[in-house]
Amino acid sequence: MNFVFLTLSAITVLGALLAVTLRNLVHCLLALVLFFLGIAGHFFLMRADFLGAVQILIYIGAVAVLILFAIMLTRNISGTEGGRGSLGGAWWFGVAIAATLAGAMCVFVRRSELVSKLPYGATEEGVVKEIGKLLVSDWVVPLEIMAVLLTAALIGAVVIALEEEKKR
Amino acid sequence: MDAIHQLINGKMPEWLGLAVEILMPIVIVLGVFLTIFALLTWVERKALGRIQNRRGPNRVGPVGLFQPVADGLKLLTKEDIVPAAADKVVHFLAPVLTVVPAFMVLAVVPVAKGFIPVDLNIGVLFALAVSTASVLALFMAGWASRNKFSLLGAMRGVAQVVSYEVPMVMAAVVVLMAAGSLSSVGIVEAQRGFGGWFVCKPWGLVGFVIFQLCAMAEVARTPFDLPEAESEIVAGYHTEYSGFKFALFQMGEYVAAITMGGITVTMFLGGYLGPGSDLPKIGWLVSAGWFFAKLGVIVVINIWARGTWPRVRVDQLLGFAWKILLPLSLVNIVAMAAWHFAPNKLVGWGASAVVLAVALVVLVKINAGQSFEKRSYRFIS
Repeated sequence: MNFVFLTLSAITVLGALLAVTLRNLVHCLLALVLFFLGIAGHFFLMRADFLGAVQILIYIGAVAVLILFAIMLTRNISGTEGGRGSLGGAWWFGVAIAATLAGAMCVFVRRSELVSKLPYGATEEGVVKEIGKLLVSDWVVPLEIMAVLLTAALIGAVVIALEEEKKR
Repeated sequence: MDAIHQLINGKMPEWLGLAVEILMPIVIVLGVFLTIFALLTWVERKALGRIQNRRGPNRVGPVGLFQPVADGLKLLTKEDIVPAAADKVVHFLAPVLTVVPAFMVLAVVPVAKGFIPVDLNIGVLFALAVSTASVLALFMAGWASRNKFSLLGAMRGVAQVVSYEVPMVMAAVVVLMAAGSLSSVGIVEAQRGFGGWFVCKPWGLVGFVIFQLCAMAEVARTPFDLPEAESEIVAGYHTEYSGFKFALFQMGEYVAAITMGGITVTMFLGGYLGPGSDLPKIGWLVSAGWFFAKLGVIVVINIWARGTWPRVRVDQLLGFAWKILLPLSLVNIVAMAAWHFAPNKLVGWGASAVVLAVALVVLVKINAGQSFEKRSYRFIS
């Protein structure tokens, strides 16, 4: 357990570090995917299978592909142009923000009563059912608002695409 | 897993038993599916030969049965060429990454009664999630080759896989609603009884067709093989690959086709269920037979489609996914709800069938205007 955790953590941290230090944009993206995979592995390790699968489905299947599309639509598709320094000038600023965030999260996670219930995902089918029930009972208003927002975004995208076509 | 557990229980020391229990399914699954992969290449070439009125491979071994071995040896001994401008690391990683997700999906496919490598309680979700990772490998291959044809193929491939993923997941939702479970064993067990297979119900039939089409598009089988269209972009994303790396791409594609077929069988065709699959002693054998027979049907459908249909254009491909498959799969969920809340079976059948038929007719009507007008030639009277 400990060995697996340490290996996974090493992979995750390595991926995160590479994602911010590599110079080629596509390499950065691939490192980011490695990082996402590491996080998914952590979820599986904690028996939160649902979260692990969703992490792969959303972050690798959707977010990474979205970034991929963004890169493919730019002229700099080979990713070799642009000679920025490996970490940028104000890297200490970023480190400070990250450290503050991580510290704050550490404090709040330790205070949370969820920690005492670890490993939370260990109940067989219960977790997915529980999440589903909560989504349509206690959290139904945020869920619906999110759905409306996404639909609006979708319609907006279609409208933008249609106008482009008319101009041609 | 229970079958293996019973088989080795108490016959060897505990640590050895544990190791065998973990390793045996992996070895069995890899061995069986790699054999199927080798056979599939032979069956495909034979069947395509028959469709095109020729004999197919018939030189190596009886009726050309050793052709896959010869092919493998040939590809192994070929020179591995990496373009000078290529991104070496990514170029190397891409073929590996094509094969890995294809095999990982096998972990959640129940091949026989009581035999599934890992019984995750979110099995189907895991399969769908992992199979999406192949799109990255496709892009990596095209991008790292530094070749315009490769990059074009990769861009086509990414657009195609992303588009077809949406209706595929939507079609799977219906099955999850009916089974009330995300576990692949749970889904199979929910299809017990005469006519219990999900494909025998109106929403199941529609879901099956959508899922099958999307699975074919996802692994770039022929009617949807734009990422590797030979006549337009040489060979697409694997133009710059040779030798064993090229073989790995082929293997990834075929194994992905087989595993997606396995998921289709599990979700719509009753998986390992069939007459005799519950017999006390030989049940596991009979159920495995049923699973592979159904898998064979799906594989033959794939080959048949490849031999019969021409390749679609890229706008037809994307339009088909977004304008027909996606709305139809959304309506299918509504039909499933009608089925679920119907007072009895007959009303459920009627309601869901009517909803789906109306949706299909309307969708075809709306999209019908986009076909080309008859071409007129000016100088030919």
